[in-house]
Amino acid sequence: MPPSSDPFYAGLGQAVRVGTELLAALIVGGGLGWLADTYLFSTQPWGMVVGLVLGAAAGILNAYRAAQRWPG
Amino acid sequence: MDNPLHPFELHNFIEFSLFGLDISVNKAVIMMWIVIALVGAIMIKAGTSRGLVPGKLQSLAEILVDFIRGIILDTMGKDGMKFFPLIATLFLFILFCNLLGLIPGSYTVTSQIVVTAVFALSVYILSVVVGFALHGLKFMGILVPPGTPAWLLPLMVPIELISQLARPISLAVRLFANMTAGHVILGVLFGLGITGGLLIGWLPIAFTVAMNGLELGIAFIQAYIFTVLTCVYIGDAMHLHGHEEHAH
Repeated sequence: MPPSSDPFYAGLGQAVRVGTELLAALIVGGGLGWLADTYLFSTQPWGMVVGLVLGAAAGILNAYRAAQRWPG
Repeated sequence: MDNPLHPFELHNFIEFSLFGLDISVNKAVIMMWIVIALVGAIMIKAGTSRGLVPGKLQSLAEILVDFIRGIILDTMGKDGMKFFPLIATLFLFILFCNLLGLIPGSYTVTSQIVVTAVFALSVYILSVVVGFALHGLKFMGILVPPGTPAWLLPLMVPIELISQLARPISLAVRLFANMTAGHVILGVLFGLGITGGLLIGWLPIAFTVAMNGLELGIAFIQAYIFTVLTCVYIGDAMHLHGHEEHAH
């Protein structure tokens, strides 16, 4: 019954995982940058730009860490 | 043709509010009650029959419990068994929500982002609380990957902070998006089949059969991934930086 034993479903699960990992970090990074822009410093686009770049880096880091846990 | 997002709309059966808080009963709430009652009934009934040669229900419960135990031992190690009741409850609830949602006419509770977000946030807050309880202020070291040179700290700490904060969001969005997307695809295919007529309509209907099989697999996988990641996050908080060596 464990779904991870079937290679098709195991691969599907890993693929789905990495995709959302990238997306979520981008959302958080961009969101934090935007919040800092509008409520803290009013440095309009730059906080969000930096936040998105950092978010992309964090997303790739998360995806890389998820991939490190794959068996084989 | 009907809007494929129409099945996700919730209409209150019983309007009810307590101190200005809207706690009306709708389809999702009733499905949650059914899931809780079903899981509870199965596990209690299976738990009371302790035969040496297990019956059907008891073997099902034993397979499930053994499966969850395997996940915990793989990701958190022996001392993770303290969290067994929490992990098992999460896994069984999400699994049964996903599976019962595939029955036509029922409702997939996990296709509401409120539900998955609450689960993900509680899991994440729990992992932070566990980390601070076990390590005190040293838990802030989770923001510094081991072996970082000092001049890279201003770059690495924000990146690690974002990657930490992304955890509950990715946990919530993954479950919600997968369940919603699968049901939207099924709805669209059914709509095509019905509007297509006999000549071509059988093709999308045949695809819904295949999609239903895939959705069964997705229901298992999503419950499994949610549970594994819960274990990984709590395990990360328990063994600070130590898990990388004994993770498989």
